[in-house]
Amino acid sequence: MQATLTAEAVPGWRRLWNRQTRYYLIAFLFVLPALVNFAVFRYLPILAALRASLYQYSLLGGFGDFRGLDQYVAIFNDPYFLNSLWVTVKFTFYKVPLQILLSLFLALFLARESLATAFVRSAVFTPVVTSVIVVSVLWSMMYHSQLGLINSLLSVADVPPQAFLSNPRRALPALTAMMIWKDVGFSMIILMAGLKGIPHMYKEAAVVDGATPWEVLWHITLPLLRRVMMFVVVTQTIFSFQVFVPVYAMTRGGPLETTKAVVYYIYQYGFLFQDMGTASAMSIVTLFLLLVVSAIQMRVFRSDVSY
Amino acid sequence: MRKLWLLLCASLCAAALAACVVAPAAAPAEDGMMMEDAGPSGPVTLRFLAITDDDQLNAWREILASFQQIEDGKWSYVELEFETVPFRELFPKIESSVAVGLPWDLFQADGPDMKHYGFNRVIMPLTEHFTDAEMAQWFPQSIEEGSFRGEFLGPPIMQSCSLMMYNKDFTDAAGLAPPQGIEDAWTMDEAMAAWEDATVDENGDGVPEVWGVRWGQGTWTGDYEHGIFRRSNGALGSPTHQGMGEDGVTFRGYLDTDEAVVAMQFYQDMHLKNKVSPVEAIPEIFESRQSAFMITPDNRIGALNRIHGEDGFNWGVTGIPYFQTPVCHTGSWHYGISPNTENFKEALAFVKYASSDEGARIWYKHVRQLPANIGLFNELAEYGDDGNQRIWLDAMNSFGIPRIQTPGYTEYQQLFAEAAGNIAVGADPREQLSAAARRIEGLVAKYAGWNQ
Repeated sequence: MQATLTAEAVPGWRRLWNRQTRYYLIAFLFVLPALVNFAVFRYLPILAALRASLYQYSLLGGFGDFRGLDQYVAIFNDPYFLNSLWVTVKFTFYKVPLQILLSLFLALFLARESLATAFVRSAVFTPVVTSVIVVSVLWSMMYHSQLGLINSLLSVADVPPQAFLSNPRRALPALTAMMIWKDVGFSMIILMAGLKGIPHMYKEAAVVDGATPWEVLWHITLPLLRRVMMFVVVTQTIFSFQVFVPVYAMTRGGPLETTKAVVYYIYQYGFLFQDMGTASAMSIVTLFLLLVVSAIQMRVFRSDVSY
Repeated sequence: MRKLWLLLCASLCAAALAACVVAPAAAPAEDGMMMEDAGPSGPVTLRFLAITDDDQLNAWREILASFQQIEDGKWSYVELEFETVPFRELFPKIESSVAVGLPWDLFQADGPDMKHYGFNRVIMPLTEHFTDAEMAQWFPQSIEEGSFRGEFLGPPIMQSCSLMMYNKDFTDAAGLAPPQGIEDAWTMDEAMAAWEDATVDENGDGVPEVWGVRWGQGTWTGDYEHGIFRRSNGALGSPTHQGMGEDGVTFRGYLDTDEAVVAMQFYQDMHLKNKVSPVEAIPEIFESRQSAFMITPDNRIGALNRIHGEDGFNWGVTGIPYFQTPVCHTGSWHYGISPNTENFKEALAFVKYASSDEGARIWYKHVRQLPANIGLFNELAEYGDDGNQRIWLDAMNSFGIPRIQTPGYTEYQQLFAEAAGNIAVGADPREQLSAAARRIEGLVAKYAGWNQ
């Protein structure tokens, strides 16, 4: 009876304006600038691209006729677009697993603190903060079949000159190797932070129970690293899908379209072929694919373990 | 809770304060703009988008210095600020800059792209700003290339025609005597034999110390030089020689003819079978004495002089090799004034001076390429009857043809260059040319009716 009377005595708005609501409001106000930033620089351009994909549209000519879904139908009938998607998928499949394995290996060995590991960590991380265009130009010189450093080293072992960037079978692996070298430091640092966040007591308990180092890694460390691993896999997949600069600077999509990743093809359509409408349709399809792939990855790497 | 509120209020106050501090800062900038627009009392900096080329930049700097002194220093307040990009990036850079409204004043426009710029209004029409006397300064071919639908879009910087230069030390060592007149130029088969003889691989590792030939400037497979192959294998007036349908949007039956396929097969053999040219292009291969021959306009002379000093490189020149018909692509760079310019008066004055005989003379001193100015041309001894660059003029006049004239030139060039690159590494020429012709037609269909 007393409770009923109290509830009736407090007005509706007063009940809503409670401690919890005020916390949420404050939290919302704090994230508002970031949300505005996202809306203006991320979501609005996506909506603009969605709109452009439905029209005949070029940078200079502006919006033309309404095309509806015609441009989507056209790109799915364009073998070069489908090929560019396939090249991107191959690049991602080559790069992400190899890079994560390598970075995990490095993180495990470089996690302990010493002068030597600090030096190696810095060395591995340096390419991450180096301009990708500079790195691409340098690597294309290193890969050169006549003048390149790599062929000079091979010649010491009497290996004849090899074509990397002009060989259709080797060009994509060559780009992948360069990008792994460039990005491995990033995933190494994230994984290392994850490793350091795992409380020692779990490993100590396992060791006391007689677990070997391999069993500790397999049954303790990796399961507890699952969330960090999800972050690394998802971000690296997204970055790999967006690969552009190495293609632009090193191969221009060749030879024989074997390195023409989808973002480079979108660039060609938008800026060189003056068809931003079709380029936008390709961007939307790529975005949709990435959303699906990311959702699957998050599902696969989901973890209920917390520590 | 109270602390959180305090923190939030403090943050909002700080943001408001920052906005107040930042906002008034805009006012002096507006004042500055007004002062700049007021005219000669303040400096005017013309922003110039151009390709990365030391010879050209040196030429423009000297032209500017001279421009600042003319008419009793009337234009002494004008400065140039360059942004330079590699050749392949220039076209998208110009278009995107204009599209988003960047205040560029001047840009360097490739001749075949002028019609595209005119079609898309990326360039300011200048017809009414040039008198008949001023227009008479330049070769008619250059004026035609710089015009679209009767509007003059920009004066020429120079003219061009590609021939085959050679390193005399290498040809002498190989016992070769290239013909001295264009009428005696080698056929492609004869040239191939010479390139093979000139190729030197002393240690037998498969990487020649001296390659037979580099076909074209730079490292790209663009249309200017590489497109010569296909057009050269057509008789005069044939579809292969024309290169494109008269409507400017038809490529099947022109780009992918049997003759064009044969020519591009030869192009592939140069790289893979006869191995006289590197598959992966080597920058400055001729200047660094790694190739015996090079297909190039005479601007190579300026580069050789800059690198090796006058007479420091023992060069010669011969006619361009051909299949059925000798071909060199004419035309070259033009000045373009951006529609976004805020300094039109100064930009126009600079362009007029730079393209006059006086400005072109300075340009020629640095770049050494065939001038587009008739007056300057007539005073240069090297283009006289016995001049060592006379052959470029004779070639331009006797078999020079412009690159295909269409607003879709960029789309064409992109796909042709890709096809040529693929053919060089072993792709089937017929498949590549057919696919390229089909794709180009799809992309340039939007320009149908442009010349009617």
